Amino acid sequence: MIANDLLKGTLRTIVLKLLADNGRMYGYEITKKVEELSTGKIKLTFGALYPVLHKLEADGHISIEVEYIGKRVRKYYTLTETGRSWTDQKVDEFFDFVTTLTYVLKPTPA
Amino acid sequence: MIAATIDDNYERIKDDLVSRGLTYDRLIDDVLDHVCCMVEEFMSHGNDFETSYDQVLETIDEKSLPEIQHQTLLNLDKKFQQMKNFTYVFGLTSAIVTIVGSLFKKMHWPGAGILITVGMMLIVFVFLPLYFITNHKEQVERKNPVYAIVGYLTIALLLVGAVFKIMHWPGAGKMIYASIGFMLIGFVPLYVVNAFQRSGKEKANLPYIVMLLVGIAIVMLFSNINMSKDLLDIYVDEALANEGRVEVAQERTFSLLELALDSSRMDQQATISKIHDQARDLQVMITGMQEGMIAYVDQPGASIEEVNGKDNRSAGRDAILDNGAGVAFITEAKKYAAMLDELVKDPVANAQIEDHLEFTTLVWDWEHGRDGVRDSPLMKNYYKNTDAAKGIALAEYVAIAYLLHN
Repeated sequence: MIANDLLKGTLRTIVLKLLADNGRMYGYEITKKVEELSTGKIKLTFGALYPVLHKLEADGHISIEVEYIGKRVRKYYTLTETGRSWTDQKVDEFFDFVTTLTYVLKPTPA
Repeated sequence: MIAATIDDNYERIKDDLVSRGLTYDRLIDDVLDHVCCMVEEFMSHGNDFETSYDQVLETIDEKSLPEIQHQTLLNLDKKFQQMKNFTYVFGLTSAIVTIVGSLFKKMHWPGAGILITVGMMLIVFVFLPLYFITNHKEQVERKNPVYAIVGYLTIALLLVGAVFKIMHWPGAGKMIYASIGFMLIGFVPLYVVNAFQRSGKEKANLPYIVMLLVGIAIVMLFSNINMSKDLLDIYVDEALANEGRVEVAQERTFSLLELALDSSRMDQQATISKIHDQARDLQVMITGMQEGMIAYVDQPGASIEEVNGKDNRSAGRDAILDNGAGVAFITEAKKYAAMLDELVKDPVANAQIEDHLEFTTLVWDWEHGRDGVRDSPLMKNYYKNTDAAKGIALAEYVAIAYLLHN
């Protein structure tokens, strides 16, 4: 399990990247995909996911398509054009961050 | 088959979610679909609907739905987000201004007072209110604004009190005491109650215990400041008393000297003058050191009661050791003691003089010497000097009286 406070800042990047790689996805699908890709180490609760999705939508980075599954509504999320370029930027930033952290945290060979 | 079962229970699931606090339509759609997917997954392992649904509900904490909704709405609230950003910007700015001001103060550079005051005002009147308001809005159950208000008052009074203290404005002590009062009867009990209420649900004890300890530490810190303030006041009182005694002793000596001029003891005249001159030289040296220390803290000519920076720890080093007569003074004072010892033969008078000039002997030598002066606060050095001045004046009086009567 990866601690929640470590995940906090990267959740948005994770969601964006998944949408970039998989096209349109719905909420439950995103949590499943994250669990699968992280071999179960990251368990995304819907409590963490939906506030982020709604914020991304409000900021114009993702758009929604609605489909009906029986009675219920399923919302598919897709990256918009601005969201796509923003994702690249965020992912780059993240790898930059990880590389920097590695420098800082890895003991240098004597 | 599974999909049909879920569709049959669609309304029921929706009602359950609403009754658990979900009211924002767009979020209901998301969570509803999510929950249905979870149920579907349980059912796909061969469970029936009821078992599956119960298991899913168990994973959803009672408070989590309103919390998610609250967080979602806050995320979407542009004004709130702006306010949060403002809070950070103001917090950062005011902290930097205050820190720079404190450094200026340490370095005795001009403008320190203005920087500290502006920085603290920003913290107290802009940053803290914003912080408490945004923090309060982020809480899901916003039952108790008292909590935020008491917290704000405690910290605000503490900080304003600290500024008043640093600026030497009246009322600082009262504000600090009021703030400690607020903390002890308001903030701390609220925090403890809150911690106990929460501890059942979350494992969040540590932050509260730490917060409590920090609170206690702050209280003790401030009580410390007050103690040292009392100590400084004692030094001031004692120093003033000593200066008074010096004056009395000098007046008495003066009348003795007038008496001596009229008396037939003309043979003692030269010796008496010698003692008097030497005593006067020592007093001049002391006055020079005292004035030097006061000038060092930028208030030349001020009386000791009015001086800001009574706890300054470099004034003594500068005005006594580095640029003052401190070292010469010890040598001269020892000569003075030796001279009086030589001239006064009467054991009683001699013992009195020795007593008055005790500061020239070993223990006091250390106190007045490099180590004793270097790291002592201004007020302590000032007091030690008045003690020496008193000793010199009294010894002078005893010696001259002895010479006149024998």
